[in-house]
Amino acid sequence: MSFNGISGAINEPGQIPWEIVLLYFILALFFVFYYGKKTGGLKAFSTLDLVYIGIGAAFSVAWEFFIGRYIGKFLPNSPFIDVGFWGRLVIIFIVAALVRKVGAGMLTLLIFNLLSDIFYYGFGGEPMFTIYESLTYGLFIDLMIAATGGKIFGIGVTPKNGGSSLQRANLISRYLAIVEGGILGLLWAIPDPIFYSGFFGPFIYAYAPNWAHIVFDLFAFIPADIVFGIIAGLLALRIVRAVGQ
Amino acid sequence: MDLSFLYENPITQNIISWYLVLFGIALPVLLIFWWIGLKGFVELTRYEKGESFLYKMNPITKILFGIVIMAVASTTIWWIGALLTFAILPLYLTLNNGLKKFGYVLMLALSSLIGSTWAIAPYTPPYILNEVFPNQNPITVWVWPSYFSIMGYVPDLTFQAIYYGLQTAFRITVTLVSALLLVVSTSVSDLFKSFTQIKVPLAITFSLMVGFRTIPTIFELLDTSLKMQILRGLGYGKPRILRSFYYIIGAVMAIVPTMVYLFRGAKSLAISADTRGFRAYPKRTLLKEPQITKYDYIMFSIIISLVILDIIANMIGFGRSIPYVGL
Repeated sequence: MSFNGISGAINEPGQIPWEIVLLYFILALFFVFYYGKKTGGLKAFSTLDLVYIGIGAAFSVAWEFFIGRYIGKFLPNSPFIDVGFWGRLVIIFIVAALVRKVGAGMLTLLIFNLLSDIFYYGFGGEPMFTIYESLTYGLFIDLMIAATGGKIFGIGVTPKNGGSSLQRANLISRYLAIVEGGILGLLWAIPDPIFYSGFFGPFIYAYAPNWAHIVFDLFAFIPADIVFGIIAGLLALRIVRAVGQ
Repeated sequence: MDLSFLYENPITQNIISWYLVLFGIALPVLLIFWWIGLKGFVELTRYEKGESFLYKMNPITKILFGIVIMAVASTTIWWIGALLTFAILPLYLTLNNGLKKFGYVLMLALSSLIGSTWAIAPYTPPYILNEVFPNQNPITVWVWPSYFSIMGYVPDLTFQAIYYGLQTAFRITVTLVSALLLVVSTSVSDLFKSFTQIKVPLAITFSLMVGFRTIPTIFELLDTSLKMQILRGLGYGKPRILRSFYYIIGAVMAIVPTMVYLFRGAKSLAISADTRGFRAYPKRTLLKEPQITKYDYIMFSIIISLVILDIIANMIGFGRSIPYVGL
């Protein structure tokens, strides 16, 4: 039985049990609704935030499907290198830094997915991919925004003691951007091998997952994603300043 | 054709192997940058006013068409996807500036076809090919030098692998071609109206429309920024052959200024939307509701026949017969 090209295979040898995947997404959705209720949901976003999100998502689409894809062809095909994904990571981190409200990550990923369907994929496999990407990549960013109290990448952080020296504040922001960008980069390396190769891949194409491959991919993705996470954090600081917030 | 005398000799083997690798990489990129260019992307991602039937259709119909095309291509045998690609391509001729758009989209589809085939064929392991082509003896076309395995290449490039790559690639071209058709023939306001009609939350519709409108602008801005750098002397006096590399470096360098420019512009867009009373009311009211025209009914019947075609194809054994892995 298949629908829209999806085989719907579960309980393949080595596949992550569907109960766990479902539980994750239910918990994630619970978080979304709980936090949305607390902070006002979509109404919490100002018109400007929505514009930022739209532009950021558009930029990620232009990068991932048109520009980055062709640049990537010049580099060896290896799990260590993914120019398209790195671009998306950097751009979406910057949008999160501009908006700094819980939900920004998920909403940006949602718009990114819809735009990429309109411009490239043609809505195949939806709504599964949107749910998957928004509630993994997007959610991680939102958790970071929640954890930092809306001061992601050290934007707007003022030192508690030691006065108001601008230099000191800048230095602290920079360190925070490095640490938070790095953590987020690490988190962004996880969903693809674990969820995609471990569950959605077999679910869609009905192949048996290969855990040696999954673990290898995981370790192959982590270094570059951390590096680009840090770059994104620092870039976000600059761009937020250049845009004037 | 037996090429074994070429790949058994390490010198010719290395030269031709690298030539093939670079051909697979460079040709699609050259097609993109020389024939299409950033200008072509603007043309293929921007709406222009037009008169033909595609412009008069309801956007929802076009989205539905895209979804059905995708579903048909992914659930039937590969050549149905290929035929659909060729059937959709001439529709571009009916658009405004049709010949130009047709040329661009043809190049884009061709480059995507070559690029995807070449991105799939050398990496497909034999066990998958066995599954796809049971009872067929693999015909070796080329043997890569042993160190190519570092790049993930399967040592023997077989005829079956190329064929498999081509089959999978046609699934990509068909969605690409049908997706861009919606983009070039639908105005942002029409899409906005239709999304409002089907009750997508206003915040999501708004962000989506901003993104929809921004994508062609991104290519335009990148193009301008790239040209500025060439004017400043990027790649000046360097050999012609290296010029496309400088274009790429220039395009990468253009990203941050483009982003800052766009994000700064975001403020004026937000202010102008707010001053026009955006989100002042929970629901948006429309002066003119999008209509269902006779073209929509024609399209509906095409969509329904596509679905029927899909079912019949599956029943008589032309369903999806190959697993696609890694895509």
